Amino acid sequence: MLVNEIMRRPVTVIEAATPLGEAFRQLQARGFRHLPVVDRGRLVGIVTDRDLRLATSSLSPAPRTALEPVSLVMTSPVLTADPLDPVEDAARIMRDRKIGCLPVLDGSDLVGILTGMDLLDALILLTGVTKPSSRLEVALADRPGELARLTAFLAARHVNIHSILTHPGADARVRTVLRVGSSQTRPLAEALRTDGFEVLWPAQKPWQP
Amino acid sequence: MAALIHRAEYAGYDFGPEHPFAPARLDMLLDLLQSLGHGVSPIAAPAATRAEILAIHDEAYVSAVEALDQGRPAPDAERFGLGTPDNPIFPDMDLATRWLVGGTLHGARMLMAGQEQRVLQLGGGLHHAQKDHAAGFCLYNDLAVAIQALLEHGWRVAYLDIDLHHGDGVQDLFYGNDRVLTLSIHESGHYLYPGSGHIQDLGNGPARGLSVNIPLEPFTEAGDYLEAFDAVVPRALAWFAPDVLVVQAGADAHFADPLGDLALTTQAFQSLYERIFSLADAHAQGRVLLTLGGGYEAQVVARVWAILCLTLLGLPLPEHLPAVWMDRWRHLLGPGIPGELHDPASALPDLPGREARSRRNRDVVTRLLDSLHRLWL
Repeated sequence: MLVNEIMRRPVTVIEAATPLGEAFRQLQARGFRHLPVVDRGRLVGIVTDRDLRLATSSLSPAPRTALEPVSLVMTSPVLTADPLDPVEDAARIMRDRKIGCLPVLDGSDLVGILTGMDLLDALILLTGVTKPSSRLEVALADRPGELARLTAFLAARHVNIHSILTHPGADARVRTVLRVGSSQTRPLAEALRTDGFEVLWPAQKPWQP
Repeated sequence: MAALIHRAEYAGYDFGPEHPFAPARLDMLLDLLQSLGHGVSPIAAPAATRAEILAIHDEAYVSAVEALDQGRPAPDAERFGLGTPDNPIFPDMDLATRWLVGGTLHGARMLMAGQEQRVLQLGGGLHHAQKDHAAGFCLYNDLAVAIQALLEHGWRVAYLDIDLHHGDGVQDLFYGNDRVLTLSIHESGHYLYPGSGHIQDLGNGPARGLSVNIPLEPFTEAGDYLEAFDAVVPRALAWFAPDVLVVQAGADAHFADPLGDLALTTQAFQSLYERIFSLADAHAQGRVLLTLGGGYEAQVVARVWAILCLTLLGLPLPEHLPAVWMDRWRHLLGPGIPGELHDPASALPDLPGREARSRRNRDVVTRLLDSLHRLWL
């Protein structure tokens, strides 16, 4: 999944000379938290609602007035993403730098913006919980062919897989969470166990031998 | 003032010998009622027409079902949820489903005509079916077709879904309709099919607060289940004051069900049915239309739904199962089935994690009520 598949467009921007009061009104009116700042068509910074509130707060040692330009409080230069970056790379940058959004630049053109909310949308899409499906969780040995064995098992039973997520579990096993398009995961789990898979969910019922 | 609906054609809704939604479950139930000597005589209803199906479903989807059912190829079958392990294609499936929809619709019409107060359709309950696709063993949504007819009669409809699985089809079809309240109590979609039915799904626009979901932890037992039910359902019905209650009475929340993880007993189902009838009397002018639904362990659903039928008809519950019935169905009952209608008192051991589970279930109900109180002012 690439940044250009989940970024928002078109992007609302403000001019560097815009007064802080006007920038704040725009953020409020549109329900945004971030505004890229441009000067003569080029991206020069980014300003957030938090930047505006901190800069103009009476608690600030030198509060700005509503008439001063955003160029005085914006963050510059801006971290940006490329439209062809994988989503996970964009997520890592945002997490490492503790920032809430990345403007997306294609050359010097501002073509989109990616926020933390868009990453949450991507997570929901990746986990496959948008379609009628059931959860199946299997601990696989960390060696080649194990995932293939699992998916071949499902393919043979014509069970459609909506998503697969894996993450390292304890004891060097790979926890594999699938959303599958079948309501019959309990019988499926029994068959998987018979075939030697370690199925974590559906678990065996505590009242059944 | 109570009636049952059924006809032999319901057996044609059959996905094949390997599929859990087996028609034999209904035959066992009917035979059990007969063997108990109550001589029940269900009403045979006409099949729903194509036009009645189209009140809810898209024509493209219905046409795909008709084509596949006649063996004509439909390359996009899977787009319509057909030809999957849950919904295999079978001959004459269009008509087979229309028989079921017709029965549920007929039940609604009996209530509208004032002929009956309590009607149980012995079949149907196809609550997963969506506007444009089949899902979870459900082709056409008989419940939604009946609810639509009740709405057109000018009634406000409360829908209660006690199936193990979230009643997503019915909920989605009326998600923005402020004359339908949908209530579903089910095993949490975090684990179980269809993965929906969270407490935050409250309805859209004018219907905000009219979709109510009570998702419960896997292995939840009767005590927690009934506590959650009592905390939410009576309040919702009292507040909404419907003209009629429609109930999907799936029996797969039983502990022995092969597809689910809830742990109700037959005794819990009896309490649940008694609650439903008294809630209908108190808040829906006594009018209630019930269908069956999920429930995949033959010996369990025969007993659970027999309890439902007998409670509906005001007949006494026998202690023992008739020997002739046990003999006739031995091949499906399996060995070691006790000869009583109810589960043995010791059916469930003390389950590990019970306390933590109860706490989580109560937290879910508290959160749900927090949101609803704001919307129900």
